[in-house]
Amino acid sequence: MRSLPSLRGPRPPPLPLLLLCLLAPVRRSSEDGRTPAAPFTSLPVREEMMAKYSNLSLKSHNISLTDEEKRGTKRSSELTMVTGEHSNMPVEKNITLERPSNIELTCQFTTSGDLNSVNVTWRKGDELLENNYLINATGSILYTQYMFTIVNSEQMGSYSCFFEEKKEQRGTFNFKVPELHEKKKPLITYVGDSVVLMCKCQGCFPLNWTWYSSNGSVQVPVGVPMNNKYVINGKNANETRLKIMQLSEEDQGSYWCHAIFQLGESEEHIEIVVLSYWVPLKAFLAIAAEVVLLVAIILLCEMYTQKKKKHSDDGKEFEQIEQLKSDDSNGIENNAPRHRKNESVGQ
Amino acid sequence: MALRAEPPDGGWGWMVVLSAFFQSALVFGVLRSFGVFFVEFVAAFEEPAARVSWIASIGIAVQQFGSPVGSALSTKFGPRPVVMAGGILAALGMLLAAFATSLTHLYLSIGLLSGSGWALTFTPTLACLSRYFSRRRSLATGLALTGVGLSSFAFAPLFQWLLSQYAWRGALLLVSALSLHLVACGALLRPLSLAEDPVVGGPGAQLASLLRHGPFLRYTVALTLINTAYFIPYVHLVAHLRDLDWDPLPAAFLLSVAAISDPVGRVASGWLGDAVPGPVARLLMLWTTLTGVILALYPVAQAPTALVALTVAYGFTSGALTPVAFSVLPELVGTGKIYCGLGLVQMVESIGGLLGAPLSGYLRDVTGTYTASFVVAGAFLLAGSGVLITLPHFFCFSAPTSKPQDPVTEALDTKVPLPREGLGED
Repeated sequence: MRSLPSLRGPRPPPLPLLLLCLLAPVRRSSEDGRTPAAPFTSLPVREEMMAKYSNLSLKSHNISLTDEEKRGTKRSSELTMVTGEHSNMPVEKNITLERPSNIELTCQFTTSGDLNSVNVTWRKGDELLENNYLINATGSILYTQYMFTIVNSEQMGSYSCFFEEKKEQRGTFNFKVPELHEKKKPLITYVGDSVVLMCKCQGCFPLNWTWYSSNGSVQVPVGVPMNNKYVINGKNANETRLKIMQLSEEDQGSYWCHAIFQLGESEEHIEIVVLSYWVPLKAFLAIAAEVVLLVAIILLCEMYTQKKKKHSDDGKEFEQIEQLKSDDSNGIENNAPRHRKNESVGQ
Repeated sequence: MALRAEPPDGGWGWMVVLSAFFQSALVFGVLRSFGVFFVEFVAAFEEPAARVSWIASIGIAVQQFGSPVGSALSTKFGPRPVVMAGGILAALGMLLAAFATSLTHLYLSIGLLSGSGWALTFTPTLACLSRYFSRRRSLATGLALTGVGLSSFAFAPLFQWLLSQYAWRGALLLVSALSLHLVACGALLRPLSLAEDPVVGGPGAQLASLLRHGPFLRYTVALTLINTAYFIPYVHLVAHLRDLDWDPLPAAFLLSVAAISDPVGRVASGWLGDAVPGPVARLLMLWTTLTGVILALYPVAQAPTALVALTVAYGFTSGALTPVAFSVLPELVGTGKIYCGLGLVQMVESIGGLLGAPLSGYLRDVTGTYTASFVVAGAFLLAGSGVLITLPHFFCFSAPTSKPQDPVTEALDTKVPLPREGLGED
């Protein structure tokens, strides 16, 4: 806990590349209406550090916290502003970092109580951080700032600022490498075929990509001795492709692609299913059999109705022949009608 | 074997409608839903989209250019054996495609082989349908053609599911099994002998007489103009919406909205075509003009509600013009020559269909938006409806007979082979 009450008036130092990301801007409009953008001056220690890593870019992040008690005593317009803020839940910010950078983290705490009685600390995870942070107070807002540099993966993690009054308020900055987030469905392939697995990083450029296959929990590298079976290439720096040829059923399973950054790794999981041709072929033959059955039914039905009709036609003909025969047997008086009948039939 | 004087207008005809329904589903529904395979082919063969889209283009072109062959064969042998053979060819093409190792392989198997199969099925079936109906021809055709809309609605998700279970090879195998049902549909096409058949003669003579038939030629020109513009919204609507900053999912959804209003339009127009007296060509002109106006309005519409309304209207009117387009033909050339007539029309109008989408794409590349493409498409439709005015009896108010304009004099010199229809008629 350190407080330097002498630093009252803020003198904005020249800071390159200021990126302000405000999480919950609960600002009490201070009497002098000053925007607390950069309330600190740089210490000699920090200037030294900045010189060492001056080739790295500077990233700034900001979290605002408020004292719970304030809510009850504030004016109604500000009550609506603070509604929805849960001071019991930790305020968190997720930051994606790809390359080594200089980092500047600022927490501001608004309270109605006595600023001097607030205990301010910074921690990385559970570990207390000792130096390199500043504290300033303006009106009823307490600012603290922590500056450091991230150059390797051990320095990634969660950094938190703590304000201890009656209750502990905490703001957390989570640093992570970019994640490969595409949720993929399993790829279906066939024995003897070839397949291309692709991993892509949106807007980020890993240093390197590696591929692993796993049966269970152990990951085995894949494609490192490039042979006829595995080919790894990628068109751009932000994607990689693994081509597996001559697939067999043993190739079925999970594959992992790892994107390697200076500050860590992230991975993605793809699953391959290898089927044999027999699987769809069975369905095909079943449907083909059904079609043959349908055609047979249709043609048989038709032949059946034709036969019935033919029988009834034959039946009619038979009746006509019978009638002629009976006319014949009626004798000579029926010569005239027979002629007429002959005429009508002859047409 | 007695010849009928009039088409039966029912009875077994309704089974033919059923057969035509499934056939239009299996031919055009498959073609329209083929876009689902498109993405898979691009990834599997690592070829650019333009080359992969040739597969469908070749299939459509072969189906339409091969229509006269299908018609000629149907005139000689009857529709049943031709359609069954076509079904086997179509299924065989898909089957061979499942084992493809290159894009050329797909051009030949799906494009050429399945395309020829489709050529042998669709046209003879519709022609057969026209022979079975006269008073209710438009309704029957409209009902049969709803198969296209409903199937492209159902097949797209079905194909997607097949792809997720079996990947594209297995899915093609199962689409081939699906296409085998064309054979069963062909079995339903009982042959019919009408009184005009001996008079109009064999395929060669019919083709010759058709080519000298003025109204038929004008009708073909009109349909070609219509066909040029017809497919443009289906091909370019989604891209146009993406240009207007729509997300891909709502854009695809809008297409399925058109797919719903399409069969509604078909049935409504079919019913209307039979109910309204006078030449059916007038209704065709009405629907064509409406579709043309709607297409021309597309560039003006910016608001989502306007675009949805336009798309619903487009689906309705473009669906409405299809059954009437098929019904005009028997009125012009008679049911005797319907097979050859339909085949010729399909072949010529396919030129329009082939040119339409690339022309629209070219206009878009040149001007930067789809405005010119849609306006030109509307213009083609209006031009087509203008040509329709020149058809005979256009301004009459009595129903025309379904007899051809100049039948007996055109007919045959030599011996007339009757269509070989052994199983009698109904």
